[in-house]
Amino acid sequence: MARSFEEALTSGKFLIATSLDTPKGMDLEDLARLIKELKDVVDALGVSDNPHAMMCMSPWAVCRLALEQGVEPIMHVACRDRNRLALQSDLLAAASIGIKNILCVSGDHVKFGDHIDAKPVHDIDSVHLLTVAKALAEGKDMAGNPLKGSPALFLGATANPEADPLEPQLIKVDKKIKAGASFLVTHPVFNIENLKRFMNHVKQSKVKVIAGIRLLVPEEASKYKDGSYPGLLVPDDLIEEIKGADTGKCMKLAGDLIKEIKSANLCDGIHITAPGHEEKIPDIMKAGGL
Amino acid sequence: MIVAKRKPFNEIKELISGSKKILILGCGTCVAVCLAGGEKEVAILASQLKMALGLVNEDVEIDELTIERQCDREFIEEISTKVNVDDYDLILSTACGAGVQLLSDVFDHKVVVPALNTTFIGVAEGPGMWTERCRSCSDCVLADTGGICPVTICAKGLVNGPCGGTRHGKCEIDPEKDCAWTLIYNRLKKLGRLNRMEQALPPKRYSVQQYPAKIVHEAYRRRYE
Repeated sequence: MARSFEEALTSGKFLIATSLDTPKGMDLEDLARLIKELKDVVDALGVSDNPHAMMCMSPWAVCRLALEQGVEPIMHVACRDRNRLALQSDLLAAASIGIKNILCVSGDHVKFGDHIDAKPVHDIDSVHLLTVAKALAEGKDMAGNPLKGSPALFLGATANPEADPLEPQLIKVDKKIKAGASFLVTHPVFNIENLKRFMNHVKQSKVKVIAGIRLLVPEEASKYKDGSYPGLLVPDDLIEEIKGADTGKCMKLAGDLIKEIKSANLCDGIHITAPGHEEKIPDIMKAGGL
Repeated sequence: MIVAKRKPFNEIKELISGSKKILILGCGTCVAVCLAGGEKEVAILASQLKMALGLVNEDVEIDELTIERQCDREFIEEISTKVNVDDYDLILSTACGAGVQLLSDVFDHKVVVPALNTTFIGVAEGPGMWTERCRSCSDCVLADTGGICPVTICAKGLVNGPCGGTRHGKCEIDPEKDCAWTLIYNRLKKLGRLNRMEQALPPKRYSVQQYPAKIVHEAYRRRYE
């Protein structure tokens, strides 16, 4: 895309982003093909950081691949796997190869991953990481030491409008915004009323909000129900609806939500995820009238 | 108090294998309260070991003794007034890890092995149930969090609010566990102190945690100089 993610987001355009998981191993072929397919239809490409605590390639390498292919990446940085030294040095390294957009996240608990005996680091949390990244951008490390050359960073954070209860989530979102988040990428939303409630709260700030859209598929219905996907809070009636749905119906459900969000002018863009079905993202966009 | 749990029986058997005369040494404080290593538990373990070893015709002599505390030299010194430690090949301690270590220091010519896994600092919720409440982080935030410790109760130890996984007020990793930040929010709301949650807490200061930690009371400083 010609314009940067930051420019696109601040231009008032309804922004479209998606995220990809990095490979478990060295085979980048499938990912390179996907990036090629998606680069002209999305404004930015999120790259996850050991998603669901599964050990995968570090996101900076795939972000670099995205940059080479001409799409601007949003690098996810999880506090779960690194202490404050490693987080800062990785942010500097990322910026040095042109990665500017950083999504600061806590990270799913290691219990969900494939290294369940790993120590969850959480030396600092996502609020701290935003503060630290902002300080780096202003030329100081976390200990207050001056940097020789500071990174250009555009910082974002996550939030979950479907969280129950929502109020503690909103208090934390306020802290993230205050700490330096310029944009929020929400966890997948399903109930438009919950998103409205969330937006009513954050609209007092200047933060840009990109709503999460998730393609639900029948073969994963039981996992939506049992909490296998942390932060994915699918209402029970929707899970029932998905159970018997064909591909067209699944796409329509995601597309209808996109239409509803866009027509109500609720937020600044959407972030579509379709784990294992990323090739369907352009079709989901079409179903959403984009 | 310190809460501990007995090691699996087969592991204990393995730890004592080869020894012919064993002293099982109980601790009468925390681990007695949590039914893991007091006088009764020492008696049960001794009986189980005698039966198990008897079944395979192993000629092992097992004695029992429980002292008030194994984490205090004053009480450890009492052991020698009751038994001759040199009579034993091995001491199987049912104290917490601190007790086992002090015992090893005092009787540094003896093999001392643990019968328990020390698990957490916690409270008794009711008969037979204990829950963790403190990570002894040396940087207490309870004043800001309504007396509920996020470092301990939150599965990720987050100090600035919940992650995105709160599900009906429960933790994303276990639907049986309360989300620490839902508890904190509700408590602070009840106390009229939600403003405490609105302030960002700084990162934990790990520099204040010494490993191993040591405290010398001001009044005793000269004694240890």
